[in-house]
Amino acid sequence: MSRRLRLRPSLRDGLGLTAALAVVAIGLVTPPSGTAAGPVAARNASGDGFSATRTISRVFVGADGTESTVASYDVTVKADQTTNLRGRQRIRISWSGAQPSGGRAANPYGEKGLTQEYPVVVMQCRGRDDASLPAAQQLRPETCWTASVAQRSQVLRSEGESTWRRDLYADEARRAAVSGAESVDPAACPPLDVASYSSALTPFVTRAGQTFSACNATTMPPEAAVDAAFPPAEIAAFTDENGNGSVNYEVRSDVENESLGCNDKVACSIVVIPIVGLSCAQPASPPTLDDKACRKQGQFAPGSSNAIGAGIDLAVGPALWWSESNWRNRFTIPITFGLPPDTCDVLDSRAPTGFYGSELLAQAGLQWSPAYCLNKKRFKFQLNQTSDIAGFNLMENGTGPAAVVSSEQESTSTDPVGYAPTAVTGFAIGYEIDRPDNAGEYTRLRLNARLIAKLLSQSYLGSDLGRQHPGIGDNPLAMMNDPEFQQLNPGLSEITQEAGAALLSLSNDSDVIEQLTEYLAQDKDASAFLAGTPDPWGMKVNPAYEDIELPRPSWPLLDTFIPETENTCRQKNPSVYFSQLAAPVTTLRKISEALLDAWPNVQTKCDFDPNTLLFKIGRVDRQSYGARFVLGVVSLGDAARYGLKTAALQTHKGTFVAPTDDSMGRAIALSEQRKPRLPFVLDQADVAEDGKAYPGTMVVYTAAKLRGLDQDTADKVAQFVRVSTTEGQVRGSGNGQLPAGFLPIRKTGPTGKLFDAAQLVADAIEAQKPAPTTPDQTDAPTGGGDDAGTGTATGGGDLTPPVSDVPPAPVPTSPATTTPPVLAIADPAPTSATTVQESGTAGRLLPLLLLAALVGVVVQVGSRFFVRPPRRLS
Amino acid sequence: MTTRRTRLVATLLALGVAVLAATVGAPATADDAPPARAAYATIEGTGSTWSELIVKQWISDVDANGIKVVYTGGGSSKGRKDFSQNTTDFAISEIPYQGTDETGQADTSNGREYAYLPLVAGGTAFTYQLKVGNTMVKNLRLSGETLAKIFTNQVTNWNDPAITADNNGRSFPDKKIVPVVRSDGSGTTAQFTTWLDKAYPSIWRPYFGRSGLTSYYPKKGETMIAQSGSDQVMNTVSGSAGDGTIGYVEYSYPLDKGYPVVKVLNKGGYYVEPTQYNTAVALTRARINTNRSDPTKYLTQILDDVYTNPDPRAYPISSYSYMIIPTGSDDPRMTTAKRQSLADFLFYSLCSGQTKAGPFGYSPLPVNLVSAGFDQIAQLKKADPAVDLANRDVKSCNNPTFDKSNPSRNYLATIAPQPAACDKQGAGPCGTDTGTNQPSTDGGGGGTADPTTAPVAGGTGSTPGGVTGGGTPAAGGPPGSGAVPGAAGPPGSGAVPGTPVAGTADEAVYANSTTIDDRPLDSRTFGWVSVFLLVALVLLPGLVSARVRRRGGA
Repeated sequence: MSRRLRLRPSLRDGLGLTAALAVVAIGLVTPPSGTAAGPVAARNASGDGFSATRTISRVFVGADGTESTVASYDVTVKADQTTNLRGRQRIRISWSGAQPSGGRAANPYGEKGLTQEYPVVVMQCRGRDDASLPAAQQLRPETCWTASVAQRSQVLRSEGESTWRRDLYADEARRAAVSGAESVDPAACPPLDVASYSSALTPFVTRAGQTFSACNATTMPPEAAVDAAFPPAEIAAFTDENGNGSVNYEVRSDVENESLGCNDKVACSIVVIPIVGLSCAQPASPPTLDDKACRKQGQFAPGSSNAIGAGIDLAVGPALWWSESNWRNRFTIPITFGLPPDTCDVLDSRAPTGFYGSELLAQAGLQWSPAYCLNKKRFKFQLNQTSDIAGFNLMENGTGPAAVVSSEQESTSTDPVGYAPTAVTGFAIGYEIDRPDNAGEYTRLRLNARLIAKLLSQSYLGSDLGRQHPGIGDNPLAMMNDPEFQQLNPGLSEITQEAGAALLSLSNDSDVIEQLTEYLAQDKDASAFLAGTPDPWGMKVNPAYEDIELPRPSWPLLDTFIPETENTCRQKNPSVYFSQLAAPVTTLRKISEALLDAWPNVQTKCDFDPNTLLFKIGRVDRQSYGARFVLGVVSLGDAARYGLKTAALQTHKGTFVAPTDDSMGRAIALSEQRKPRLPFVLDQADVAEDGKAYPGTMVVYTAAKLRGLDQDTADKVAQFVRVSTTEGQVRGSGNGQLPAGFLPIRKTGPTGKLFDAAQLVADAIEAQKPAPTTPDQTDAPTGGGDDAGTGTATGGGDLTPPVSDVPPAPVPTSPATTTPPVLAIADPAPTSATTVQESGTAGRLLPLLLLAALVGVVVQVGSRFFVRPPRRLS
Repeated sequence: MTTRRTRLVATLLALGVAVLAATVGAPATADDAPPARAAYATIEGTGSTWSELIVKQWISDVDANGIKVVYTGGGSSKGRKDFSQNTTDFAISEIPYQGTDETGQADTSNGREYAYLPLVAGGTAFTYQLKVGNTMVKNLRLSGETLAKIFTNQVTNWNDPAITADNNGRSFPDKKIVPVVRSDGSGTTAQFTTWLDKAYPSIWRPYFGRSGLTSYYPKKGETMIAQSGSDQVMNTVSGSAGDGTIGYVEYSYPLDKGYPVVKVLNKGGYYVEPTQYNTAVALTRARINTNRSDPTKYLTQILDDVYTNPDPRAYPISSYSYMIIPTGSDDPRMTTAKRQSLADFLFYSLCSGQTKAGPFGYSPLPVNLVSAGFDQIAQLKKADPAVDLANRDVKSCNNPTFDKSNPSRNYLATIAPQPAACDKQGAGPCGTDTGTNQPSTDGGGGGTADPTTAPVAGGTGSTPGGVTGGGTPAAGGPPGSGAVPGAAGPPGSGAVPGTPVAGTADEAVYANSTTIDDRPLDSRTFGWVSVFLLVALVLLPGLVSARVRRRGGA
């Protein structure tokens, strides 16, 4: 008892203090308006993905009425991600146990994929495959999207081509000469009731309920077009001879395809139909042409190609996916779309603030800018993509408030410039390479510095045209013929393609080229090769590039050799052949697109144009699926966004490093800052020595003047640095988050030094040293900014460091995700639609709460001193 | 008694706080209502590579607004064709539909209703590689006539007297001129040949074999090189084998590459570079077809007077790039959401988007053309009343280069610096490099700063900016090149009004902080929970301590 008495005063103090703290804590924990906790919470990593197995068979009914199964497969279909998707996100769909495909098309997408046999049709449909749902929410062929008529309707087919009418499982209506035409507008369609011709339409029904007859191109929904700029997503995919196959399927939301109309409220599915051929009903006696055609089993051997689009057996092709024999074999992968992210208002009248510079930041910039425009306390951020040096110059001359660069730039002004680390990303050698015999994509390309040096120095000959080149006539024609490449990447086709002699790269200045050439320069073999030492197989460097100075910010076109040829077109267009092979472009984005389309930028096509009567030189054709071989320098952000494959680069003999969180973190750990406020430098010699660091790792900096900026602009830049290095480093695909292809900057770990450096520079930018009017407006960052660990005051985990730009109180702006980030680069986290927003309520409430707590304490204390003593006296 | 009073005070205090919290909390939940979001759908287009660099930037800008645009270039001819075949939602082209193209094929919209609207201005630049010894010439000057003769194989050597005369006596070595032209159907070619046809018909027409423009350059002879796309023209000119070449591309391409461009002689007697200023000045003389009754011509450009603009700052081969938009109410590809996307993409591009034209090597549109463009956008609403165009007008444009008080005036043209005296015909040549986006001028004022961020105060600057030095130590350069005093400005110089920038005045801030489907219940619930917790928190310590005290006292 007495003990308790003695304790009482401290207990009371403690209570008061606890109360005060609790009030603060409550204010922090429960923002009255539910910002982040709500709808996004639905995302669950565990329930994601899809896997199902079923047996699919082809059955013929004989003349005597007996059924015989001619083929049967146990097919397993898997999808890696099915929930919270975003428009244009690519999900991996793979299968095994399917009938091997034949007659591979040069382009399997949309209408062009129709001339293949036994493909696997993958398409997106509105609705779910659930009989318990109301009819309007169920999927059916009429809610499945195709970009062309030919993919969904058969119009006026003669006998022998109308095999669907003999489909064993077709209902009466589908066996009629004309089917699917009940709701057709007769004025818009050709007359279908023509004797001895059959038609089967599969109209398309939009989300709004409108029916498009799909009898010709004009009766298709508005999004449908052949050869449009926005390519189709549905694909007739190829199964290899082992029964395996996979695609990266691009899903479309209602933003991309309004008629299909999938969004967070309208459920949709991916339908996968492995084609095993039509099952056929009892034939007539004698069998009709259709009876015979229905029983056909293909003209193309498994694994073969049909690049010219020759005719196929319709019964085993993809065009009749809607016919009951095929439709009943479908796998339905239910998918859900996340909430669309918040977007900026086009009427927002604030003037945009454009930073100029590196394209490496492009993907992050796209996700970050809504987090700025949607916040009253921030500004309208835009990233204008220019070369690093151009951006830097625009910053120095005052056009841009800040530049986005990846290394120290040559300054032309006397004002000091600070470089604040803003993101960690880099470049990669992206590629699309198919294994021979349609055996699928090659996924583990390994390159060393010498191979890259050979490509860049234009030392491969490209074709026989290059053989006359002085000094290197005995070199391999292309990389696939180079024994060094073959040793590193065994089992690939050795058929020469001109694209195999080129690494598509940038034509202008870039820090990417600077770092890539540094990587070549530190490698003994690559430097020796460029200096004129032949490789062990006798390949020599193109004399035009011998002893080229490295590193360098841009890669020049140095060759001058113009081949002599009998070809009239080339005689009329004498061009530097090797430059036409290399054909560098102005943006990394263009390179990514070239890879994505498997369309090399090789400009060696030369032909006669009968319209203009001119011999013209131009870009070669797209590569055929199954025979792709194209390489290019890409940004890691683009590679992740478009699902491009990236090569592992050799660091030292036998060690090949791909871009991963780990390998990039190691590179950051190796990089050194030689002076405060300047960029960190990654010495490629250190990378080689370490062995496990990725040589293409690059830090993107926000560079701004530390003197001479007006305070408003300086504040914006400082805010950008602080926001980017805190909430901008939370992985995810939501607004303000860090997209895949970037390594988050954290307060601790290898990137900790970047975080500290960024805060230091942000303070310096904000301070604008000699500016006369710098009364300390903010209380968060300390003035001078000399030491690490200034900047933000409050603790919090290193995953979501608090935002430091809201002065009055640490208002909660907690981003939605707290899941640990996924390590794999090519694995974007699911959608989260929330944006960072401050809670005005909490902001206003908090001071009051604190005041209340204070009053509480005062009352307590007061009661002790003023109320208690008299009692004790008594 | 005293204890009770304390308790009472504490209770009252807690209640007060609770009430305060409630009143503060309530309005906060109310104004979190989700703003209306314009429904957008992806739009796609093809066409011009001349304007592609800036269009691609705009596309990445409007991504933040939720507007998705797919644009794949391919050349103006392809753009017009794709639009006519209903495979795209818009096209970008330097020239209008020609009716019949030069090869006799139809060049029409195939019955699809459309309207033109100007998108951005720019100059068709001549980029070149010319070495004297090992030094690149970066300040070459040529008259239009010399250029016309070069691209028609009449002037074939860099030591041609015409070139020497253009460069005020500075002669270049005996070296073959290799013109680089486009091999694909190109609006850049169309712009260039329009100029050749109008300005130098006696040179162009005999070479072409007929009159008029062409999208496919008639390459003749074995020297001329044809390349596909602007990138490839740049590669050919800038490659090692490019010594002696000269090609035509939009100014943004050499600017991006840091490559020199020809200063072209204008009717004012000065050799000028296609900076955003000089292009803007030239285009003040563009005649725009204002006959609304003919939608196939309305707003198209007639550039004859641009070619002959007597202003000493004008770059003669300046032009506008156009977008072709579908205006039919029953257009097979258009929906409300697509029209809204197109309207707002254009709203951004014609307004704020114009501010970055200069840094990218283009020139912003004058406000009267932007207004005319808005009228064309209005046709989208005419076709579909559900399209929302409210508050989208020139007044809400965030573009400091617009002069809203005087819409017909091009603000940029008024602040454009006068050319340096050494750029005058018969003087110089100036030693400053070209292809740097810096105006060559004697008045230091207009040069470095960009009008979009900081409008330049008067044309002050007494130093002969940039003229010093004579950047190219070229052999045979005339003595005293660059030593031209800054005072000798041409007539009318310094006409830079110190007008403040209009446009940033009304800083209406739109607070659309979230579009997550809000759940008012949550807010209310949590609001009350917090109020309750608050009351408890404030009351509890007092109550507990009072209780403890009472016990202690007992």
